[in-house]
Amino acid sequence: MKDVMGVIYTGENDARLRELTMTRAIAALPVAGRYRVIDFLVSAMVNARMRNVGVIMQKNYHSLMDHLGSGKEWDLHGKNDGLYLLPPFLTRENVGVYNGVLDALRSNTNYLTRSRQEYVVFSGSNFIYNARFSDFIRYHLDSGAEITLMYTKNPSVRREEAGTYLNVAEDGRVTDVEKDPTEPANEATFMEVLIMRRDLMRQIVDKAVAHGYHDLIRDLLIPMVLTGQARINAWEYKGPVWLIDSVQAFFRFNMDVLNTETRRALFPEDLPVFTKVRDEMPARYGDAGQCINSLVADGCIIEGTVENSVLFRGVRIAPDAHIKNCIIMQDGQVHSGAYIENCILDKQAVIKRNARLIGPDAYPIVIAKNVVI
Amino acid sequence: MMRKKTCVAMLLAGGQGSRLGILTKRVAKPAVPYGGKYRIIDFPLSNCTNSGIDTVGVLTQYQPLELNAYIGSGAPWDLDLTNGGVFVLPPYQKGKVGEWYRGTANAIYQNMAFIEQYHPDYVLILSGDHIYKMDYNAMLQHHIRHGADATIAVREVPWEEAPRFGIMNTDSDDNIIEFEEKPKKPKSNKASMGVYIFTWEKLRKYLTEDEADKSSSNDFGKNIIPKMLAEKQVLVSYSFDGYWKDVGTIESLWEANMDLLTTPMPIDLHDKKWRIFARNPGYAPHYVAVGATVHDSLVTEGTEIYGHVEHSVIFSGVTIEEGAKVTDAVIMPGVTIRRGAVVRRAIVAEDAIVGAGSIVGEETGNIAVVGYEVELPAGVSVAAGQQVDESVTFG
Repeated sequence: MKDVMGVIYTGENDARLRELTMTRAIAALPVAGRYRVIDFLVSAMVNARMRNVGVIMQKNYHSLMDHLGSGKEWDLHGKNDGLYLLPPFLTRENVGVYNGVLDALRSNTNYLTRSRQEYVVFSGSNFIYNARFSDFIRYHLDSGAEITLMYTKNPSVRREEAGTYLNVAEDGRVTDVEKDPTEPANEATFMEVLIMRRDLMRQIVDKAVAHGYHDLIRDLLIPMVLTGQARINAWEYKGPVWLIDSVQAFFRFNMDVLNTETRRALFPEDLPVFTKVRDEMPARYGDAGQCINSLVADGCIIEGTVENSVLFRGVRIAPDAHIKNCIIMQDGQVHSGAYIENCILDKQAVIKRNARLIGPDAYPIVIAKNVVI
Repeated sequence: MMRKKTCVAMLLAGGQGSRLGILTKRVAKPAVPYGGKYRIIDFPLSNCTNSGIDTVGVLTQYQPLELNAYIGSGAPWDLDLTNGGVFVLPPYQKGKVGEWYRGTANAIYQNMAFIEQYHPDYVLILSGDHIYKMDYNAMLQHHIRHGADATIAVREVPWEEAPRFGIMNTDSDDNIIEFEEKPKKPKSNKASMGVYIFTWEKLRKYLTEDEADKSSSNDFGKNIIPKMLAEKQVLVSYSFDGYWKDVGTIESLWEANMDLLTTPMPIDLHDKKWRIFARNPGYAPHYVAVGATVHDSLVTEGTEIYGHVEHSVIFSGVTIEEGAKVTDAVIMPGVTIRRGAVVRRAIVAEDAIVGAGSIVGEETGNIAVVGYEVELPAGVSVAAGQQVDESVTFG
């Protein structure tokens, strides 16, 4: 779909991800052994042959920029279009910190104006899924709606006092929108991704600026639905989806990917997920180790016992070390005799000899980047 | 005009590799998979990048399709450059003349125009037949320091094996005083690795003369080097003592894979300062299920293991089903080993399927091979040393 561009907003609130998002945006959070959250979205867009993808960045965007680079891994490094990294910048009207999505879009109206595509898919970045975007786009073009929202009925992404919920009529029309309700009345959760004409998005942003609106949903979408001044439809995504908004949700996602059916649904053969390549050698297993129900990335050396865990690239599990229900990010090390359970080790964290660390089931321990225990 | 390059590399990748049997029926030898995620050509290409040589011509002629697709723009090796990069150079029509590459020297001769574009001072000649990590820049500095016309990389081989190689007899200052091709009574055990650096001006002269000599077989080892030596050119040897493995036969390819399973690895592929780059298929990390066992093995991304893997190298996108046993084996990309199958001392080539309960290879004896895309039915046996391609039928 050459005529559709993508814009991804990565400034979501990340307070409940604690140390994990201290130095990075949610979009840059490492997941599933070798990916970052944003890989799924960018890959899905590229798989729908979208050739122009802009990423609006807010704070802590260094790791995101480092990861996305020139967009080469997603084949987004062409002469026409490609990947655009849009960090915040200061002007008279713009203080660099976006007060919500509309603010961020306003700061990037130049990018929107300069792009040539007729349609724009606008998305947040804290849902993980692998949708067939070409179907979503096709639905929008065929339905005649002015805006189409993507939603899921998966109850696991519903949150108390957070999120946007839709009432969708038989014909796909959105008839009601609730934002941050204590108890949502509707079963459709908006996945924070929508499509509309690029010129309509320009108008919406201009209108928001003129009226001092900040909240896309509350100030614009809800009035549009309630007054019927625009036709807003919704398209159901039926595959697996996760909302990465807390340490628990992050942990749950990684553990869910250990399930073979789930993994196959998230990584269909014809919708590959691309990511930055590190050129590590294959994982190496020693003679005494044991590894069960785990995902292991390249560059790992496994000589100890690994159970129900996700190991990122370059992780080393020494002989007689035992890890259970753990997520160990890039280049983490667990030394001989150590036992860790229900832990998340951020990049380059090291658990020294004979250490014992057991987190409660519902609340995994997070070991921050570069920490040695 | 292209900007000048100090050194241009020419990689001879045209060899058929017929001793690799059915493994090279469809692909050229340099494209044969190795080490869980690499192909043989990744080693010389990565060595070039790591040595700071950024202009590489790859000369192909046998089954070039897969190799061409694999090399692509050269991005995996950082060889997608505006000035320089990697170029696939098949034989082509020149005026009314069109011909295949007749020998290693002729292949370079036919591509002199490519080399001339960069006005190099030196040309590095490589082959796509070996697994090794080598700093070509250190060799180039050696060449410059000695004011050599040609430098030949050598390694010491066991004396009893020396008669199989091109042997260099040198003086104490690394000057080559004699070259003997496969000598019955070797005077030295310094074997040529097939890695040469020439001062381009000299090589151009010798290639042109060699081409005019109708009796020549247009080969570096047989013609160019002996002639330079006879004419008292400065030829020096450059000793290399790192891991170097010819993977020209089924047995040696299997052995080279097994070498990666010894501790410490004889060739360190974890070395962050000398990474071996490869085209990445983009799969999820590999998965090891409950009830599976994996010991002494290499396993890479996109693979799912439900059975038992011992002392084996498992490539990407492989599925090893429940109860299957894989021992001392090399399982190439996309292979499926069905329930209860037993694979030992074997190479299973890309996208092959080993049927449920089938037995491939034996505990001793030669390496068994299942060829590309072969679907081995359930319950059959493949004997040690047997090679199964699509022509083999099981009754």
